[in-house]
Amino acid sequence: MDVALSRNGRRVLRTFFVLLLLFLYAPIVVLLIFSFNDSELPSFPLSGFTLKWYHQFLTNPDLRAALGTSALVAVLSSVGAVVLGVLASVVLVRRRFVGKAAVSALLLSPLVIPYVVFGISLLLFFHAVGIPRSILTVVIGHIVISLPYTILVLVPRLDQIDVTLEEAAADLGAGPFGSFRWIVLPLILPAVASALLIAFTTSFDEYAVASFVVGSRATFPIYLYGALRFPNRLPQVIAVAVVVMVLSLVVVVSAEIGRRIAERRLGTP
Amino acid sequence: MIRRHLTTIGLLAPPLGWLFAFFVVPVGIVAAYSIDVLHGPSLFGGSHKVTLAAWHAFFHSSVYLGLFWKSVKMSLIVSAVVVGLAYPVAYYLALSGTKRKYVLLLLLIAPFLTSYLLRVLAWKVILGNQGVLNSFLVWAGLRSADHPLSQLLYSRFAVMLVLAYVWIPFVALPIFVSLESFDRRLLEAAADLGASRWGAFLRVTLPLSLPGVMAAFLFVFIPTVGEFVTPSLVGGTSGYMYGNQISDLFSAGFPDWQTGSVLALFLLAVVAVLTGAFARLLQVRQAAG
Repeated sequence: MDVALSRNGRRVLRTFFVLLLLFLYAPIVVLLIFSFNDSELPSFPLSGFTLKWYHQFLTNPDLRAALGTSALVAVLSSVGAVVLGVLASVVLVRRRFVGKAAVSALLLSPLVIPYVVFGISLLLFFHAVGIPRSILTVVIGHIVISLPYTILVLVPRLDQIDVTLEEAAADLGAGPFGSFRWIVLPLILPAVASALLIAFTTSFDEYAVASFVVGSRATFPIYLYGALRFPNRLPQVIAVAVVVMVLSLVVVVSAEIGRRIAERRLGTP
Repeated sequence: MIRRHLTTIGLLAPPLGWLFAFFVVPVGIVAAYSIDVLHGPSLFGGSHKVTLAAWHAFFHSSVYLGLFWKSVKMSLIVSAVVVGLAYPVAYYLALSGTKRKYVLLLLLIAPFLTSYLLRVLAWKVILGNQGVLNSFLVWAGLRSADHPLSQLLYSRFAVMLVLAYVWIPFVALPIFVSLESFDRRLLEAAADLGASRWGAFLRVTLPLSLPGVMAAFLFVFIPTVGEFVTPSLVGGTSGYMYGNQISDLFSAGFPDWQTGSVLALFLLAVVAVLTGAFARLLQVRQAAG
């Protein structure tokens, strides 16, 4: 006898799971269908197949500029967040010191601040110290948001690494930096890649904070939000939506699979 | 030994310094604006001395507090619905012994990894008066074109539907993790002692998975109670939330930074208390267990 589920219970839950997946994927499928629909208005009945929305967005300079801006912001902020995250994670895993609980609470606290509050905080801060809003101010905000995620990815991986490896390196004459560079870093590389990816996608998709501190160069979510108010731009936006969704799904899923394979190959040290 | 302390400080300085400069100090600046130490556009402006006027006005304002309660209620409903929907699915994946549980879990979480704005956009396209759902009903002859289901978009319902849609995949994860680490032998023991499956679920599985459930609840409640993006896109006036009010007090129309700062700090305080209480509860449970 299965102690967790009766046969009927299993059937009910499986059906429920399938229905929930349908609910989750149906809107995405709707977008996919209407991105090929030859009509200004996304409504039934369908009026024929077209690729013109895809063609329009590929030739829309504003949209392409916004995608480029977001890519730049995401690269800068993910590299920044991961560098800071590696430093913080190494200390959290390897060192004992007074106030460690408080330090780790502070490092993770951006996870729970409502973005509207953080957004206006940065707005007032930049205003008070006289820093003009630009893509750099967005990068600064995105590093704060992404930092705790990078720590959450890096700490478990660092935890798995046997301290004796580093002690052996030290015995053989490696300095702290050398043992990090040649022992620790190669072992946490898959986790570093994951952290980069998470920080990148977080930044690329972030609207709330960016909306308060963005300058004149719109990021992709800012452009998208603006475009949502103009019905005639809707089909184009739907086409972009489909491309971005499919790309991000492919990247994230293959990265997760890649990380699993890489970590299996490196083994649990 | 001293050198080791120095490197600890050296390693921690960049991440802590960054958070201090661009997270702690900005929140402090909001506090300064809320008591008029720093001035921006404000209803109370020009007094040029420390004043709690905006705080006083806030706690005596039925508008702001009413809006806050409305947002809390909406967010509580969304969190409860989302956790209620995600729990059975997490239970199925974690405990049914299905072989491909990680693949299925990834399938469930994948929508969360796609753009937030675009998932909101999808519902805007679906729910509009001439949108996918209404035009489909008309096309299928279930509804006349003159009388579309007009309450769908720009309503409180739309906001809660979209928020629930957005958060379900994310919430399944902590519940799954707490159920996955669960020892099935406990259920076998319960069965041996004569408990039915329901009895074992209610008295063993559910209590043990409660920390995961509460974490999941909080993970939805915190971002949704301060939400302003979704309501501004699908909420209309009846779906207007506390976060929209904060955002509007800082936008171009009628800015009032002092009042906005008060509203933001109040929200932050509520969230901080909730998070702190939850962390404390976990510690107590761990110490007791």
